[in-house]
Amino acid sequence: MMFRYTVNPALCTGCRTCELACAFTHTQEQKPGRSRIYPIAYGPDRFVPVTCLQCDDAACVKSCLFDALKRNETTGAIELDKDRCVNCRACVAACPFGCALIDDVHDEVVKCDLCGGSPACARFCPTKALVYKRIA
Amino acid sequence: MVQMTINGKVVKATEGEMLLAVIRRQGIDVPALCDHAAVEPCGSCRMCLVEITREDWNGWKKYVTSCLYPSEDGLIVTTHTPELQEIRRNILDLYMARCPGSELIQKMGEEYGLTRTSFKTIPEGDNCIMCYACTRICEVLGRSAISAVRRGHAKVISGPFGDPPPDCIGCLSCAHICPTDVIEWHDQDGVRGIWGRTFDLIACQQCGKTIITRDFAEYLKEKRQIPADYFDICDDCKRVELARKMGGLVDQAKEVAS
Ligand code: SF4
Ligand code: SF4
Ligand code: FES
Repeated sequence: MMFRYTVNPALCTGCRTCELACAFTHTQEQKPGRSRIYPIAYGPDRFVPVTCLQCDDAACVKSCLFDALKRNETTGAIELDKDRCVNCRACVAACPFGCALIDDVHDEVVKCDLCGGSPACARFCPTKALVYKRIA
Repeated sequence: MVQMTINGKVVKATEGEMLLAVIRRQGIDVPALCDHAAVEPCGSCRMCLVEITREDWNGWKKYVTSCLYPSEDGLIVTTHTPELQEIRRNILDLYMARCPGSELIQKMGEEYGLTRTSFKTIPEGDNCIMCYACTRICEVLGRSAISAVRRGHAKVISGPFGDPPPDCIGCLSCAHICPTDVIEWHDQDGVRGIWGRTFDLIACQQCGKTIITRDFAEYLKEKRQIPADYFDICDDCKRVELARKMGGLVDQAKEVAS
């Protein structure tokens, strides 16, 4: 893989800019889509931005019986092919980190695609808790 | 690579790739009801008909279902002609009579200038256009729980012999792929109903939220080796759990550092 996405919770202030950036980046019909990243408080003033880790041996990919989830070798992201997805939600149930999500408004499954190689969350994170960088 | 002409424009495509995909890549909108990327094409709905000809056909032409016609060198394809529009309108006229309850069909008909069908509406209109999207997707997932039963007018999609399908796992793939949205299902009180059967939904051990049926999870476990405990809690609670675990590690590291 040529890129790596890193999350450093120690730097997260819980400002939720990433969540907003994500929702606005994945828009449909001019309405923000569901965010794929969630800064979650695990203690007073302590947060972890929870998002898809693009696992090597990913449960979502394994669980999809229709090959709708595939790795983009350039960006490293596991991408959802909407044309193949039938909304069975196997991936939602299988992901051990809860990062294959249901967008209730659009009644569809969504997951992080690293914005095709320039993730908005990392671009907007003011503290660099989220970093996407080339490693090779 | 092959070279074809689509609506007057020279286009390259992979040999054997179905015409419909190539046409759509050009940004041309051809109606299609039974085509879906996750299943093999079957050419049943006839909406995607296009006209093809070749230089050496001396003006001879024919209509083919583009979802099922492989790209080949020298093909001259036209997607919209008055004749094609007329054919599509006639097919929709019939579908409108058969599917009074399908919003999609009624809307498509309107797009072709039909305010209502000129045929007699089937009073008990079953809204199924017999496109086999449901049986095809069920086959892809490896269950083949449903199929067409009986012949002629009486033909319907159902489990074997018209009974509830014993091999169904309640995954809803069929219901979601159905273009006319006729496959009835419901989730209620932790139970999913479809095809005359009921299935237990797995309730999150922490919050009770349900996502898939127990039978579907069992199937994924067996077929794709997904560990059983992955299904114990829902996605919402898994995210909170992950934050707690990662947070714990961060705090530990901080303590070590200080
Ligand atoms: S919801 Fe879509 S992507 Fe997820 S397993 Fe089902 S078909 Fe595949
Ligand atoms: S719900 Fe049942 S019949 Fe429908 S696709 Fe799933 S297993 Fe097949
Ligand atoms: S989409 Fe080609 S016949 Fe239905």
